[in-house]
Amino acid sequence: MAKKPLDRGTQEGINMSTIKKAQIVNVGVAFFIASILAACTSTTVDEFRQGETGIETDESVVILGRRQASDYETDSGFVECVGDRMQRGENAISVVPEQEFIDSMFPWFEPRTAPLRTRDLEQLMAEDVVANKMNDYGIRYIVWVDGFTETSGRTGSISCTVGPAGGGCFGFGTWEDDANFNARVWDVGSLKNVGTINADATGQSYLPALVIPIPLLARVEANACSRLAIQLKDFVNGS
Amino acid sequence: MNQPNMTIQALLYRFGAALLLLLVSACGASNVVIEGNFPTPNVNKMPLSVAVIYEDALREFAYMEYSETGREEINIESGQSHIRLFNAVLPAMFDRVVNVDTMEDAVEQKVDAVFAPVIEEFQLALPAKTKLDVYEVWIKYNMRLVTTEGDYIADWVLTSYGKTPTATFRSVQDGINGATVVALRDLASSFSLSFSQVPEVSEWLRNL
Repeated sequence: MAKKPLDRGTQEGINMSTIKKAQIVNVGVAFFIASILAACTSTTVDEFRQGETGIETDESVVILGRRQASDYETDSGFVECVGDRMQRGENAISVVPEQEFIDSMFPWFEPRTAPLRTRDLEQLMAEDVVANKMNDYGIRYIVWVDGFTETSGRTGSISCTVGPAGGGCFGFGTWEDDANFNARVWDVGSLKNVGTINADATGQSYLPALVIPIPLLARVEANACSRLAIQLKDFVNGS
Repeated sequence: MNQPNMTIQALLYRFGAALLLLLVSACGASNVVIEGNFPTPNVNKMPLSVAVIYEDALREFAYMEYSETGREEINIESGQSHIRLFNAVLPAMFDRVVNVDTMEDAVEQKVDAVFAPVIEEFQLALPAKTKLDVYEVWIKYNMRLVTTEGDYIADWVLTSYGKTPTATFRSVQDGINGATVVALRDLASSFSLSFSQVPEVSEWLRNL
């Protein structure tokens, strides 16, 4: 059966409908991009150098999270993120995974027994078992990462309902995230603290909900990780 | 004609029974069996031959956490994980370690001392109750070291602590397991590093 040609009115209707859909999509994309930009973060990195640094190709670094505080502990995911990024790209550095190092050094780097100052490390290195393991791994620097991400200034509200005909959410929420981490670099050769790098990332996150909640999150921890890793890589390489 | 009605009725009964079972099981305490592997400590071995007695109280140790209304909430079984821990730690600390059931077995093994750990107290702090973003576990032990004649060499208290942070997709069971494993590692580290510094043990080692 031959298709009946559409009359002019129907064609205009389809064209208008297509144009409207395209406009809605464009507005949606623009809103999404604008929201992402609005949820951007600002990151500050400070470096304090106390000694000369440099690393050979057969040497490695271990990044450890501080877990002595009673109310928080440095996220192992953040420590892993910094380590992964230091192993990538130009001037990549060999990084020993945190858990592998702690397990092989057991019980010397547990929260209760880990050295808090470089003179504790000096005492620790006097133990043959510790010195030999450090040597086996070729550890040149120990990087102690300490910090956490804090969420504050939560405002707004979102209410969700579910009924027989379906469900949905309506409302708006916003909060501020602040990731503050510092990394102390200990030289295992000289048993001295050779520097400290501080990374502070802040950002505002938004959660608008029009039927579906759309989280627009400020990636403060990811930004702090990325910037800290770049700075640490340069610091350890001595550049 | 009655057959379809009876089938529907039977299905309804079965559905009701299943729902009831689900509700009853939802009211019971959840069970957490502590699982984790423990590394061997890097410590200098002492030239000692030690027999270990794991009493039933340790082997079957379980802690029940109650809700604020007094309802049984979470049952934590950690006996076997304690035995796995001691089995990893003790052979790294002493030249010879034998597991025995009685003091008579220890005499037959001609050991220098008999070690019998006991859990005295177990405490759990859940984020829902403390309003902190961490699961916390405290364990208090009574470490007993005796001669094969049954005379006390040393009897000391050791406490261990472990915490693990809350995470978006971490269940309560995983949080408790994580905190307990950290507490067990803490026990292993303080026990292996402080053993020879316990005054009574130190004196016994000098006279050996």
